[in-house]
Amino acid sequence: MKNNSFFYFLTLNLLKEKRRYAGIVIISSLLIFLLSSVLFISSSIKQTLNYTLKAQPDFIVQNIKGGKVAPINSNMVNKILNIYGVEKVTKRVYGRYFFDDKYSTLIVGVDFLDEQSNKNLETLINSTDLKQFLSKEQMIIGQGVKNYLKTHYYNLEYNFLTPDGQMKNIKIFKTLSSKSAIISNDETIMPLKSAQKVLGLKENKITDIALNVPNDSEWQTVKAKLQSLNFNIRVISKKDMQKAYESLFNYKGGLFLVLFLIVIATFSLLLYLRYTLAASLERKEIAILRAVGWSIKDVLKLKFLENIFLVIFAFILGSSLAYIFVFVLNAPLLKNIFLGGSNLTNFAKFTPVVDYGVLSTIFIIFTVAFLSSVLIPVWKIAVTEPKEAL
Amino acid sequence: MNELFLNNYVIVYLFSETVLFLMALYAFFKDIVILKYWDFESFSARQLKLEKQGYLLSTIATFIFALKFILLIYFVYMIDSLSIIIPGAMCGAGVISANSYGMPLLFIKLTTIFTFLLFLTLNNLDLKAKNYPLLKLKSWVLLAALLLIFLESFFDLSYLFNIDLSVPVSCCSALFGNLEGANPLPFGLNIKNLLILYYTLYIASVLAILLENRFLTAFTLILFAIISYYAVVYFFGTYIYQLPTHKCPFCMMQKEYYYVGYLVWGSLFIGLFFGLIWVIIGFLKYKNKTAKQIAIASISLFVVLCSSYVLFYYLKNGVFL
Repeated sequence: MKNNSFFYFLTLNLLKEKRRYAGIVIISSLLIFLLSSVLFISSSIKQTLNYTLKAQPDFIVQNIKGGKVAPINSNMVNKILNIYGVEKVTKRVYGRYFFDDKYSTLIVGVDFLDEQSNKNLETLINSTDLKQFLSKEQMIIGQGVKNYLKTHYYNLEYNFLTPDGQMKNIKIFKTLSSKSAIISNDETIMPLKSAQKVLGLKENKITDIALNVPNDSEWQTVKAKLQSLNFNIRVISKKDMQKAYESLFNYKGGLFLVLFLIVIATFSLLLYLRYTLAASLERKEIAILRAVGWSIKDVLKLKFLENIFLVIFAFILGSSLAYIFVFVLNAPLLKNIFLGGSNLTNFAKFTPVVDYGVLSTIFIIFTVAFLSSVLIPVWKIAVTEPKEAL
Repeated sequence: MNELFLNNYVIVYLFSETVLFLMALYAFFKDIVILKYWDFESFSARQLKLEKQGYLLSTIATFIFALKFILLIYFVYMIDSLSIIIPGAMCGAGVISANSYGMPLLFIKLTTIFTFLLFLTLNNLDLKAKNYPLLKLKSWVLLAALLLIFLESFFDLSYLFNIDLSVPVSCCSALFGNLEGANPLPFGLNIKNLLILYYTLYIASVLAILLENRFLTAFTLILFAIISYYAVVYFFGTYIYQLPTHKCPFCMMQKEYYYVGYLVWGSLFIGLFFGLIWVIIGFLKYKNKTAKQIAIASISLFVVLCSSYVLFYYLKNGVFL
């Protein structure tokens, strides 16, 4: 190990037998490429969602009737304001508006003159010229909505059909930037009153109430207090939502990983067979090494370093290809598995994330499978008696 | 289906552990054959075969050891990342104490790694000699290591299958904080005496190793490890977190503290393991300078690292916590 001639021999051997290893390296990198693309996409989306989640309000209060979410009275806001420790209690009106049976937009009604519990909305409002915006009934729309309306020749305004059978004409004020496109892509933001009309809500009814609690050690207490306001209230905290996202993407990534284990098992079997067959070819080579004085230990070391080198090479190749595929080429084909919906898609780009946890996961799963399947065949080659082989 | 089992880390962890379990099972049977039929004086075909199988066993052991070492780090990382899913947990401390299998599992993992390290050292010495003088002994050690792996697999499954996601667990401040004024330290120590003991035991261990007194080394090293655990949790940890009430052995492995926990605990255990290995092979009349050097370097790194947190805190803020 100490002398460099050993490593010189190792690299020389690898370079000389390029063709012998090419097949293994290609298949290995392909497998790693596939697995890492999927895991990269999932961790990138998770990161983006967490980023958006940070801006969300800490608590959401809903009214439940018969197990379903029902409109809540807007005077509930005053009751919530009486609880110590809460701030930025916001009325929210939102719901889906279907353009046709396939495409829909998320209507978000905002009281533009009130303070906001959602930080993204807060920055949006601060950057909007409110005087101009509120001068007539206008809305701010996401990229996807804009594209849809454009193809249907609504460049400046849109006529919403309200549930009570009337037309509601609202002008387009501006388009949201595409920075956090996954969320805001199909959103339409408009004043509370307009949203109530479009969604068919009565004047004193809202969808839910959002609020913030700056001191997070108070969360449990505030939650209990909110819950005790009325028996049919449901309180959703930010942590619940984070957990739900986490488990959704774990589910998608995990299901893929479980299926991938089967592929890995098949691959291991192939490797085992290939190395067992190769044993007969390599015997002579090993016998010569043994004859010139190598011990079994040295031969084992050589063979293992060879395979470790192959694994690391395939890992670097496969994962960097996946990085390019996902973050530069934006994962064509594969991204639909995760993003799903065909609704107003105008998804911008995956945020590049290098998650060491994911990388080590890929490395471990592959190294374990690869090395354990070649271990016994390699040993069989190494213990060949020179006399028998030559 | 528990949603824990769709977590990527858990899947990969269980997969790797299963593969290692199968390898260990294979090695176990081979090892028993060697223990039963080994006869160095014999020239039979079986003896020749056994000698070759010895190489297979040491290869498998090296492989298992390397992966177990990586998987231990991975396990701790996994435990930490599970704290999002498990209600109430904020770091690994809560997750590992989600049921009574967690702490023993961690302990078994460390013991397994130590046993494999011992086997590899013995194996190295054995292969250097011409007549396999340590074969029986190292095979017994390997047998113990493999049995530990079986035990570990059992605890792995029991631990993961018994985590109930609907029941909240305690967070580290509830587990390690000063509860109702009770003293959590052993032997009725207070922090001042704990620190005196900590530094005394450190100097004693280094001296014992340098003076080659093996009984004393074993005694002081083990005591040093125990005292270090308490010193890190109840004193040095508070400087790492820069918060006098934060007492936790797991939080320091998180990103917020630059993953320093891995280095802190890693250096302590590496020092302890190599020190004990040096003691054990010393009783077999072998000398191993490297083990000795690694042991001293590693525990010194541990002490310097812990102390420097206190020192830098004092230099920056002019007060102790």
